[in-house]
Amino acid sequence: MNGIRLTLKAPLTARVDASNLLPAAFAGASAAEVAARTVPFGTGVALVGDLFEVAASEGDALVLSGDPRLDYVGAGLAAGEIRVEGSVGAAAGSGMSGGRLVISGDAGDGLAAGLTGGRIQVFGNAGKNVGGPRPGERQGMRGGVVSIAGRVGDGLGARLRGGLILVAGDAGAGAADGLLAGTLAVAGRLGPGAGRGMKRGSILVSSAPEALAPGFAEAGPQDFVALRLLARRVPELAALFGGELSGRAVRLVGNRLAGGEGEILVLS
Amino acid sequence: MSAPAPLLINGVEIRDSFAEAFPMAGTRLIITADTPRWAHTAAASLTGFATSVIGCGCEAAIEREIPAAETPDGRPGYAVLIFAMSLKDLKKIVPLRAGQCVLTSPTSALYSGLEGGSAVPLGKALRYFGDGHQMSKNLGGSRIWRIPVMEGEFVCDEIVGSTTAAVGGGNFLILARSRPAALAAAEAAVAAMGQVRGAIMPFPGGVVRSGSKVGSKYAGLIASSNDAYCPTLRGIAKTALPAEVESVLEIVIDGLSEGEVADSMRAGITAVCGLGAAGGVVAVDAGNYGGNLGPFHFKLHQLMAQEAGR
Repeated sequence: MNGIRLTLKAPLTARVDASNLLPAAFAGASAAEVAARTVPFGTGVALVGDLFEVAASEGDALVLSGDPRLDYVGAGLAAGEIRVEGSVGAAAGSGMSGGRLVISGDAGDGLAAGLTGGRIQVFGNAGKNVGGPRPGERQGMRGGVVSIAGRVGDGLGARLRGGLILVAGDAGAGAADGLLAGTLAVAGRLGPGAGRGMKRGSILVSSAPEALAPGFAEAGPQDFVALRLLARRVPELAALFGGELSGRAVRLVGNRLAGGEGEILVLS
Repeated sequence: MSAPAPLLINGVEIRDSFAEAFPMAGTRLIITADTPRWAHTAAASLTGFATSVIGCGCEAAIEREIPAAETPDGRPGYAVLIFAMSLKDLKKIVPLRAGQCVLTSPTSALYSGLEGGSAVPLGKALRYFGDGHQMSKNLGGSRIWRIPVMEGEFVCDEIVGSTTAAVGGGNFLILARSRPAALAAAEAAVAAMGQVRGAIMPFPGGVVRSGSKVGSKYAGLIASSNDAYCPTLRGIAKTALPAEVESVLEIVIDGLSEGEVADSMRAGITAVCGLGAAGGVVAVDAGNYGGNLGPFHFKLHQLMAQEAGR
């Protein structure tokens, strides 16, 4: 047996910290041994077996039932795969450095906070502060790839330092706040106030933003070889915008009020 | 005991000699541009004045044209190979040439064509031209640099890999009845060798007319005309040429590995033999230094044994 399937016995009645439900932690463990582990539950702890039916599963992945009260799913994941059937709570994938986290439903706030590597795929929507800093940290996500099929809340990519976040739907207000480096790609509408304090990095959007934070200068249209290159090296980036990037975009440079030279590329 | 029968292919004698070659450090770069013409211009400029390490510091040439569908950015491209005597030299010469010849060439972009080995700087060195406005992107497993230029942006990979298993100085000599016959045979050889990946012929058009020997009567010259193969010196210098030979051309080969040099030599000699004695080719020979200097020996009889049916 390599894979483990954890199926919720009933909807959670309190928040669960799932950060120790990792493939590596269960390597070589029997279903009974997994069931005997504990997880923080509300203000106390609970046995995994009290909350979940534990069973072996095909493959190497850890398969979890989703619940909006299931927080920190995949937090600290370094290798292996976690598949969530349903939605998760806050801070999913927080501090991940490798591996793969797939969420079939929605993710709560703080998705991919402090991510340094690995891939996160969310088939639903995500909450606020995707890819932002973890509590107490100055920098947000520093590497890895996050892909969200739906929309995201406010504060997307705050203090992002590296990596790639792909959003197929709309992004809320205040995206790229203090963004340091890395790439955001939003196929839907970019909410108001994006790019405040942006230093470097890139935001790729398919339509002109409604109301950017003040401090951006328009450099005009250009044929960017770099976009054609990225479309080939990162196929999911091209797929986000319909499968092909022409390379042509209008470049907005900022945030000049913060002395920044980041860019917003409005694709055409 | 009688001497073994000479190895003849289509009436061309393959002499019992060998090419003596040397270890080099090498790498492959991919250059793209908006049009094939400008991709070729940048590639030709990058590989210009790079016939011999003796005088140029490196040896380089275009390896092949790459269809747009196969290049990193989907534009027409060329692959070039560059060789130097050491990794240290390679790391110096590649960014220098890239900066002078590719960065400056309209619409060009420059990418790594070889992974692994010691990293040779591309954008890592050229980025400073951006004067602080350069941007990098670390996506898809590698870092690229975007350097603002008057035309738009110059895009290049941060580094390219390298190999120290490269081999330089593979060669063979075409001994022909006339200058036109020697040239036609050399052109046929170069065309065939151009199909071999991982190897280049760094001299003009792939051909050398002034093969050299080690040393000179003049102090300070490390190489001089290979008088044993100069037809006009027959009678006054020790000659390697039969009476019917009026002209000799040499093809020098550098490859990313010993096997690629051997494949290239075999392809070239096979093409020369294809023209045969009827095409004015008398013999194929090779240049060496007695086997004491270079660790790689490409023996012509071994290379051509299969083609000769031995």
